Amino acid sequence: MTAPQSLPREPRVIVCAGGGGVGKTTTSAALALALARRGHRTLVVTIDPARRLADALGVTIDPLPHVVHVDPATGDRLYALMPEPKASTRTFMEFLFRDEPASLERLLANRLFQALSDALAGMHELVCMTLVARAASEHTFDYVVVDTAPSRYALDFVSYPPRLAALLESRALGFFGTLADRSGTSASGETESAAAALARKGAEAALARGLGGRLVLDLTGLFSEMLRVRERFAGLANQSSRLLLGESSRYVLVAAPTGSALADVRFLARKLEKLGRRPAGVVLNRADIAARAWAAPLLDDPGTPPALGAALRQLEAERTARTAAADQMADVLAHHLASVPRVRLPFVESRSPADIVLRLADEISSGVSVLAGA
Amino acid sequence: MSAPPRPALARVALVTGKGGVGKTTVAAGLAVAQVALSGSAALVEFGDGESGLRALGRQRGVDHIVIKPEEALTRAASPLFGNGLLAKVALGNFAVKRMLKAAPALRELAMLECIRLVAAEKPRRAVIVDMPATGHGIAWLRVPRQLREVSQSGPFFELCDRVARELVTPGRCSPVVVTLPEKLVLKETLELCESMASVVGLPAARLIVNRMPTEIAHEAVVEAERIAAGDSPRATAARSLAEVLRTRETARQEALTALDDVRTGSAGLAPVLLPEAPIDPTATQVAEWLRTGGALP
Repeated sequence: MTAPQSLPREPRVIVCAGGGGVGKTTTSAALALALARRGHRTLVVTIDPARRLADALGVTIDPLPHVVHVDPATGDRLYALMPEPKASTRTFMEFLFRDEPASLERLLANRLFQALSDALAGMHELVCMTLVARAASEHTFDYVVVDTAPSRYALDFVSYPPRLAALLESRALGFFGTLADRSGTSASGETESAAAALARKGAEAALARGLGGRLVLDLTGLFSEMLRVRERFAGLANQSSRLLLGESSRYVLVAAPTGSALADVRFLARKLEKLGRRPAGVVLNRADIAARAWAAPLLDDPGTPPALGAALRQLEAERTARTAAADQMADVLAHHLASVPRVRLPFVESRSPADIVLRLADEISSGVSVLAGA
Repeated sequence: MSAPPRPALARVALVTGKGGVGKTTVAAGLAVAQVALSGSAALVEFGDGESGLRALGRQRGVDHIVIKPEEALTRAASPLFGNGLLAKVALGNFAVKRMLKAAPALRELAMLECIRLVAAEKPRRAVIVDMPATGHGIAWLRVPRQLREVSQSGPFFELCDRVARELVTPGRCSPVVVTLPEKLVLKETLELCESMASVVGLPAARLIVNRMPTEIAHEAVVEAERIAAGDSPRATAARSLAEVLRTRETARQEALTALDDVRTGSAGLAPVLLPEAPIDPTATQVAEWLRTGGALP
């Protein structure tokens, strides 16, 4: 375990990423459950909550973490945090501008903000990480498992906080400031080369012409409001970055032998490489259906009714197809991500999400040390 | 039971839905089916082109148009700034770059403009767009009108206006929503369809429910249970089989019940059902399913 420190201990973050439809949320929950079974206080955070799973784990879609009692073996060590993605931007702005009510009002009335607020990148992720940081300060977790949104671009969110903060840095604000009043002087006192000045002037002229005066006014208004909360925003962004990109954070890629999952994993691995990180492991979910020992005696028995025989043959055909697809995928991964450990998980035939999580937690337990470094 | 008639598909179909529901597979299948129906179709993909290629497989005859997201911006912005070079200069500006990264709505506007351009290129060709995963939001559909409102005049206004009038309007494009047969997922999809109609004024034209659990002959379940209840040597094996079959039957039943809610929902859109397959179906196979399911005439 971690050595005692003077600062409050920050949890170890495990980011799970993968394309859609690979069972990433379930896998994340299973990994968290397996960690809690081993005695670690663990929080699983779902960026894009699946209500079915939330219901199954007995937690609500809420900005606060809830203890999960789906398995007695985890005691009070497993928590789930599933914040509602809708209205994230507004909630976040209300938080950012809590000391600046007039500014908040202007911001919410800004037409450009109204048009874009639904679509601000990574706002929900940032809200989630802010909630994680708050939860971590209140609960002392050993591990936080973050289930990202089902997208190839899900990992981008680890760089959103600094990106959003960069947007608000003074040089960018100064630029938009000068756009509003092109006769005014640049807000940035930095000296620039002749080429840079030319490029800036060109961009200014082109933007002012292309966007039109009114839009530029809305744009600059938006920036001047954001400037007021820049420090608070940067603080949150840095906190998120530290959690997500800190030295102890790990990245787990989740795939299943279906659709674009394999390409997604390779794409995400390349993204990680650009961030200077390597995946701790690749989980091959729904890769196998355990051989059904009971199928053979029924199939071999001439007394088995035809309808049963047909159903059995269908099940066997499915099993063979799935395993073949998983084997092929494992081969490709072995070739392209040779040094990344693979953890193979079975296809769990059940209608209960809680049951699936419990069974996957059994299966993942041997891979926990690889994935979580536990 | 007679299903309510499905509205005609516009020439441009925007295939949308949450990540992992099978949008690419459906888009590729739809493109293949359109080629058979009208002679030509384009499959538009935003990305590196890899997923469209995989979904189309050996299928030829579909124009596969790949637009890299960053190229979309320059293409859409060129008329705004007079030419491509100026657009590149403006978009290359550090402050603008940062804003574009922070507000993907602008990228989505650019994507829509590119789709409009592709559609204008060949006026008879069907255009099927594999839209990037947009979650449950409809922000990307609202963007042209919202930004048109905000800008009011100038080249940027004209760009938004063009996209709003020539693409994001009934008759010009049809949202094709892909979803999965699970109660809560369907409920969210239904809400999405409703806000598409009420907020954007662009009702979904097709609701494709992907991965319907396959039907298990009820006879098989009954027989497995009968043998399981006996004391033959096969009883233990039959008990395990009965459990699997019952799980599948329940899955199918739950999916059907969830679909009933959709049928009675206010969207009034008869869903097109595609079966669950243990491995990825080919585009030709999906095209066939779409035809027999009534997605296309």
